[in-house]
Amino acid sequence: MAKSSFSKVDEYGFERGDDFNYEAYEEFMSEYLPVLARRSRKWARLMINPNSLKRGPLVKRYMRKGVPAEHRAEVWLWASGATQLREKMGPNLYRELLNETHDNEVVSSIRVDLPRTFPDNIFFNQSDQCEQRNQLFRVLCAYAHHNKRVGYCQGLNYIAGLLLLVTKSEENSFWLLKILVEQILPDYYGPTMEGVVVDIDVLGELVRLKAPAIHRQVSDLGLPWPVVTTKWFICLFAEVLPVETVLRIWDCLFYEGSKIIFRVCLTLIKNQTNSLLTCEDFGSLASAFKSLSNDSSTLHCHLFMKNIFQVPGPLPTSTIIRLREKISQERHKS
Amino acid sequence: MANRGGAAQRPNSQTQGKICQFKLVLLGESAVGKSSLVLRFVKGQFHEYQESTIGAAFLTQTVCLEDTTVKFEIWDTAGQERYHSLAPMYYRGAQAAIIVYDITNMDSFGRAKVWVKELQRQASPNIVIALAGNKADLANSRAVECDEAQAYADENGLLFMETSAKTAKNVNEIFLAIAKKLPKNEQVSGAGSANQGRRLVESDSSAKTAGNCCK
Ligand SMILES: Nc1nc2c(ncn2[C@@H]2O[C@H](COP(=O)(O)OP(=O)(O)OP(=O)(O)O)[C@@H](O)[C@H]2O)c(=O)[nH]1
Ligand SMILES: [Mg+2]
Repeated sequence: MAKSSFSKVDEYGFERGDDFNYEAYEEFMSEYLPVLARRSRKWARLMINPNSLKRGPLVKRYMRKGVPAEHRAEVWLWASGATQLREKMGPNLYRELLNETHDNEVVSSIRVDLPRTFPDNIFFNQSDQCEQRNQLFRVLCAYAHHNKRVGYCQGLNYIAGLLLLVTKSEENSFWLLKILVEQILPDYYGPTMEGVVVDIDVLGELVRLKAPAIHRQVSDLGLPWPVVTTKWFICLFAEVLPVETVLRIWDCLFYEGSKIIFRVCLTLIKNQTNSLLTCEDFGSLASAFKSLSNDSSTLHCHLFMKNIFQVPGPLPTSTIIRLREKISQERHKS
Repeated sequence: MANRGGAAQRPNSQTQGKICQFKLVLLGESAVGKSSLVLRFVKGQFHEYQESTIGAAFLTQTVCLEDTTVKFEIWDTAGQERYHSLAPMYYRGAQAAIIVYDITNMDSFGRAKVWVKELQRQASPNIVIALAGNKADLANSRAVECDEAQAYADENGLLFMETSAKTAKNVNEIFLAIAKKLPKNEQVSGAGSANQGRRLVESDSSAKTAGNCCK
């Protein structure tokens, strides 16, 4: 890891662009490496006996402080309930799905997106026949076949792609994808993407409650919330925030559920209150939203993750549930 | 927002002319090359493997006409069918649209026609619509005849060009043709309230660096 901070490719295989700020990154890593080392020691003790992992305050705190890369796959499978689900549904499900005949149209739309998924990642961009790309193809086809209502929704390619980079196992990626789509997130990827549309409005409502000045600014300049936040929800911040930050978010997402997404959104927005409030027109506001994710605060993932539990203030699950219900009722009335 | 129903004078502008700002949306099936056209127009680049767009992307670019500088606020949307329900948000209040299809893919032309109908019904009545038959460099595998698309465009009062984001063919030209056709002075009534020929606020840097102006 230390070596990769000087390399042109990061530890997950993403090529660093010409505009990559090595200096800022080195500064960040000099703080983050000791953190990683400490977390790694702590988790190593916990993982001596993985069967003893139990939900509770200790593990919750550990998840929030980050799961070390070497344990991430295993911990995600456990925390999300994917392991149990797999036992319940039969451990051979994935293999069986691969052997079935898949819908041609779905398969071809997946195929179109393969070279368009992480074209800046060396594991995915080497050749048409590279192994990761084939794995991504199989995971997406198997899932589309398994859940015909969802089928293939653009955006799932990035999620499955990142799952593959972390777990290095197509089967584990399949189960984590299934858990995300069907249990952790409310109908984000169905035929009308109802869940995303509702959650974007929930976010708008939360911003109104927690950052009223920004909410006023956004409505005054006529910028619809979905315009700037759709990708945040659909990609779960993949391709939006730095990859290490995304994985830290997912650590919490798998353990605590979709509420985390709102915490991240609210933190991103509140962190940039000043730059958002100084915009004078629609175009500059849209650009300001676009640059939220490039701000150096998002690179400093450890601090960023600490902030998501402080900056937005209290966010009870019951509030989210109530807002989701209210908004979807209103949608169906109109 | 100040809306003076037209462009504001910017005294120090190189062209000494008016500056107008317009909202333009790109629509069309997934992978026809919407993002690639925008990338070519705004940055002069082409990526063999352009990432699929999720939600939408926002960019700006300026073109210079004789006495007017036209600044486009460009919304590049996601093409997959299930993102359709989000589309009205992007074309609402747009003064211009480019509907893109892939000349090697007949289905994408059919989808383009559906977009044209939807815009004619739902978008601002004065919206300027251009039809782009993209991937013109792949004429060997052509599935949509140029004449057929031209005839369809004529019937529907659309601008039409075959383009190639890869070779840059007709990319600047199609944006320029739209810029020329857009009304620069009179008040236009549209679905969006605050965005007809808006006054340009000089706070956006993305257009300045692009340097694609006045070719
Ligand atoms: N040969 C050729 N290929 C092109 C051209 N324009 C785009 N492509 C390729 O077609 C693929 C899709 O292009 P995009 O620009 O991502 O298409 P899109 O319409 O934005 O797709 P979505 O974002 O999924 O809606 C990419 O791999 C491009 O490299 C072109 O003019 N010629
Ligand atoms: Mg695109």
